[in-house]
Amino acid sequence: MPHESIQTLLNANEEWSQSIIKDSPTFFTQLAIGQNPKILWIGCSDSRVPESVITASKPGDIFVHRNIANQFHLNDDSALSVLTYAVKAVGVEHVVLVGHTNCGGAAACLQAAKDAAADTDASQPETPLTRWLSPLIGRIQSLELSTCSAAEALNKVVETNVHMQVDNICKSEPITTAWADPNAKKVTVHGWVYDLARGRIDELVCREAKHDENSA
Amino acid sequence: MSQLPLNAAEDLINANEEWAQSIIRDNPDFFKDSAAYPQTPKVLWIGCSDSRVPAAVVTASMPGDIFAHTNIANQFHSFDDNANSVLSYGVDPVGVEHVVLVGHSGCGGVIAAIEAAAAGPVEPHNPLTRWLNPLIRLVRTLDLRGLPEDEAVAKVVEANIFRQVDNICNSEPIVTAWAAGNNVFVHGWVYDLATGRIRELVVRSLPSVCS
Repeated sequence: MPHESIQTLLNANEEWSQSIIKDSPTFFTQLAIGQNPKILWIGCSDSRVPESVITASKPGDIFVHRNIANQFHLNDDSALSVLTYAVKAVGVEHVVLVGHTNCGGAAACLQAAKDAAADTDASQPETPLTRWLSPLIGRIQSLELSTCSAAEALNKVVETNVHMQVDNICKSEPITTAWADPNAKKVTVHGWVYDLARGRIDELVCREAKHDENSA
Repeated sequence: MSQLPLNAAEDLINANEEWAQSIIRDNPDFFKDSAAYPQTPKVLWIGCSDSRVPAAVVTASMPGDIFAHTNIANQFHSFDDNANSVLSYGVDPVGVEHVVLVGHSGCGGVIAAIEAAAAGPVEPHNPLTRWLNPLIRLVRTLDLRGLPEDEAVAKVVEANIFRQVDNICNSEPIVTAWAAGNNVFVHGWVYDLATGRIRELVVRSLPSVCS
């Protein structure tokens, strides 16, 4: 039956909402008044990394943007509008950029970089997906991966990607503006990796406003 | 007990640790298996970034069930590489069978678009106003005169869902899939914040051909 998976979701939603109301009758009506999450999660669309499930979070906890390979491009209105709204209208205190092991997008970029180096794929037709991944492919081409196993190379790409996207976020207008203003609400930017094999989040990097000159 | 300053990010990492341990207690191989095989979700959820509508929580789903993309006001713009790359990758290679476009009551992006439409034509000047421009134009086509605010918002929330479903059905990944006989269903859903319930507004699929 084509709609089986959909009907399952709708039934599960009904049971879930009823169980919440039984335990906490005003949960939804209170939440309908407004949101006040402290966290913006920028992560991968991968089905194995549902941000609220893996952090046991409730509706209202995490403002979220998920895309292929957890990118933050400075010319992407989608991610920029999320960050702008999250920092300025919603008032989040932490932006977490979350990559993960076994990322299909990262693996595709690794392959594309190898193909470009071997010149086996002279001209690929340009598609939204190839355009979307081209900054990461470019970055991979500058990595030294020749002595890495396939698994090590992918992990190195996943981590490099997290650092790269955190750098982009820290250069964005909402963050640079917040950090330049000593009276603005404190916003911290984190780079995390979710390890699928352990179900665990590891922090790679954490960046904050600096009010002294030229800190690294 | 002294009040320690709250760090929401640390709390999240701690909660993740407890969650992972609880999963392993019940199912020791869950994570190893998850890492060993590619993902095979049947559903792509395109929804709003709003913290109150976490896809996997409101559908009581497990990791692996739902491929997800969220942005301000659950938009699907034909010219947006971000959403288009998710849809393209979701259809192939991931192989989802359903795309659900999910709007919700009380959407902040919708409210902002209604206010902007009422304020009159203004050249979009930042990523957020540029992002909302198509929605603002949609609002201007609707008759909201005399409607109390919550009804106006509800009307725009629904019109937005129908419009984004159209955009998805006209997109290259869906047009291509349907032309190849791959019957990916496209659904328009609305999530009611006040009740926690999802309601299906519309479903579109490969037009059937009489043989």
